[in-house]
Parts: sequence; structure tokens; C-alpha cells
Amino acid sequence: MTPHDDELGADLRPDGTGAADARAASAAETHPDELRLDALEPEDLDGHSIDELADYLDAGMLPADPSIDDSAACQNALAAIIRLRQSSLGSLEAAAAQEPPADESWIGGVLANISLEARAGRDVPLRAESPTERPVMTEGAIRSLVRSAGDVVPGVVIARCSLDGDVVRLGAPVRVTVELAVRAGSPIPDAADRVRSAVAAVLAEQTDLVVEAVDVRVRDLLPALPDDHGSTHDHGSTHDQDGA
Amino acid sequence: MPHQSLVDLDDAVLAGRSSDGDVRAFEVLIRRYTPLLRAYARRTLGSTDELDDVVQETFITAWGRLDALEDGAKVKSWLMRILSRKCIDRIRARRDHDDVTELEVAAPRDDAPDRVAEARSREEALETALAELPEQQRRCWLMKEVLEYRYEDIAEELDLPVSTVRGLLSRARKNMIRLMEAWR
Repeated sequence: MTPHDDELGADLRPDGTGAADARAASAAETHPDELRLDALEPEDLDGHSIDELADYLDAGMLPADPSIDDSAACQNALAAIIRLRQSSLGSLEAAAAQEPPADESWIGGVLANISLEARAGRDVPLRAESPTERPVMTEGAIRSLVRSAGDVVPGVVIARCSLDGDVVRLGAPVRVTVELAVRAGSPIPDAADRVRSAVAAVLAEQTDLVVEAVDVRVRDLLPALPDDHGSTHDHGSTHDQDGA
Repeated sequence: MPHQSLVDLDDAVLAGRSSDGDVRAFEVLIRRYTPLLRAYARRTLGSTDELDDVVQETFITAWGRLDALEDGAKVKSWLMRILSRKCIDRIRARRDHDDVTELEVAAPRDDAPDRVAEARSREEALETALAELPEQQRRCWLMKEVLEYRYEDIAEELDLPVSTVRGLLSRARKNMIRLMEAWR
């Protein structure tokens, strides 16, 4: 150990009580300029390999290993690994910013190649007008109805919709679960009520599902829309909120 | 019926709607992540005319497998993992069609530190350093540090023994640390 290393060691004495995160953070801040370029072999790292150190970091620096935590050389190597990790994703994001936006005709090509059937779900029977008919509506089409009905409620975006029950059997009771995102500033209970009744109404009108219940879950809060986009929602807000 | 603008929605909502079959929501995800996926593919495959195709295949596969995505908020890393697999398939295909043994430099070139030192930002330095790594080291590094794969996952994807993956990552780490030290 060189006198220089001793100096570092004195600065680096860990208190031994910190959590792994705190130790990792302090490692990231310790003497970033002091890592010797050739010092990456176990003989330079107080007997530890750089890979052991990377694995130690992956394990959240747990269980704490004093032979690493108390080694100035290891702390510096850990700091270098942390810096590398931090810039790995950052540099990918920076490289992404240099890429052109997706080409419109290319996007069209992707969309033309996805299979709508892949997301169509089960076939839900409708009531037949004549004995020879077997009309069905796909689950995907029903979810689309639900989205359209829910999305027009001011301040609401439908996130997901699921139909629970034996939907392939006509007349079987079905529970509909709708997950919502609500814009900040919209009263949540009111939004949920409106979605529930809008969804129940559209399903009653356009399907033959026997809807036992419409469960509404608010799972996301969205930032309020900027004013210039507000006009799309004015259609809804002109109807007075007379519910409840 | 007014169409909601979906562009500012978060990944979880968009992934949920996509899984339910909403093509417009999926289109927003395509716009949002195509540049990132292209950047990742460029690092793995180099700048080839295959980038558009491999990203397109990624989205088509993703659409078909949206059911398997448990947490929509993680759609970004999920897409990158699908892409990574597509890229590896491409590399294998290249090898199959190419009888020429790959001339792979075992270590960064001698002037690599100088190139890294010239970078104007930390991100650019890392990009340069990464480009200097031998191909297999770079691939393992990306899977470990960007996709957060475990050693076993990398070994499985690349069809290599775990010990080989550990060895490649060990060399990649040392090379990256040394190269990045040149930048500061």
C-alpha cells in the first residue's frame, strides 16, 4: 500500500452503521479521480476482483463485507462501477435523442402488420334474430365500446377493461372491471360514477351481456390538460353534473 | 365523439389500452420508443439497414404478447428485451450466412482512450468506449447494465456457458472502467 492509499483510507473510514444505499452513495462520491488505471486486479483491490465488487453492488452491498467496505481501493472501484452504471442508460437515452423520430410511413407499415385478431379475445355471443344465426362480437370490440364510452367522460381516460365471467355463454352473468386514469382537478367519485353509468349504458344498448356489476378502479392520476386542449372536453362539461 | 389525445398518457395506461386492442395507444408507444429502440439496435447490430426491420419486428412481437406484460409501467424495458432477442437472432443469422470467420479484436484499439477523451459529454464518452469494446463484450455489457439481465439470462440468450459470460463481462468491465477513466 502506498502512502497515497493510506491518505485515501483515512478519508474513507466508513461509520459501519450506514445502510447499503448510503454506503453505495458515499462510494460514488469518494475521490473520483483517484482510481489508478491499472488497479483493477485483485492484488490492487485488497484481494477482491472487480467482478466480486460488481456482484456485491448488485446484491445491494448486503450482507455487508467489511473487507470491501473498509478498503479504500475497493471503494474507489465501486465508485467507478456506479458511475458507469449511471451513465450506461443515460448514454442510451442521449443516443436515442440523436435518432430521427419514427418515420410516418414506417409506422404505417408496423400497424399494417400487427394482427388485430391477436388482441380480439373471446367471441361473445349476441342474441340471434333467427335460429340459423350465430352472431358474435369479439371481446376486443366490447372493450373498444367501453373505452369509447368512458373516454368521453370529462377528465377520464380508460386504462384497461376486463370482462370476468363465462362470456362465451349467452345470458351468463358478467362482471366488468374498468381501470381509469383521471386528470388532476377532476372530482374522482363523480368521474367514477359517470364512467360506471356510461359503460353500463353502452353495454346494455350494444351487447347482450348480462352485466352483474361494473367495477371502476382509479389507478392513475394524470396531469391536468393544458388549456388549449380543453376544448375537446367542453362537449362533456356543458352537461351539468347532476349526478348524486 | 371527440378523440382523446393519447400522446401525453403514461406507459401504464398506454400499455393497458394496447393490451385491450387499442391500436391508437400502441401507435403512441411506437412513436415514443422507436428512437430508443433504434439506438439500442444500432449499438448491438451497428449502423445497418436492418435497424428499421428489427424494430418493426419488435413491435409486432410485442403486440402479440401484450398479455404477458404484467406491469404496463415497465413496457420500455420489456420492449428493449424483446428487441435484444431480435438483434441476437439477426447476429446468428449473419453468422449462418457468413462463412468468413469474424475478425474480432480482443481488446480496444490502442488509441481508444484518446478517442474517449475527446468526447464532449459523459454520455458521448460512454458511447465511444462502448463502440471500442469487442462485439461479444459489448453485447454482454448492454444486457447486464442496460437490460439488467442476470448472468444466467445472458448465458441463455446468447447460448453460452455462464462461465464464458462472466469472463466476457469481467473484461468488459475492466475495459469500460479504464476507457472511461480516460475521459475525466
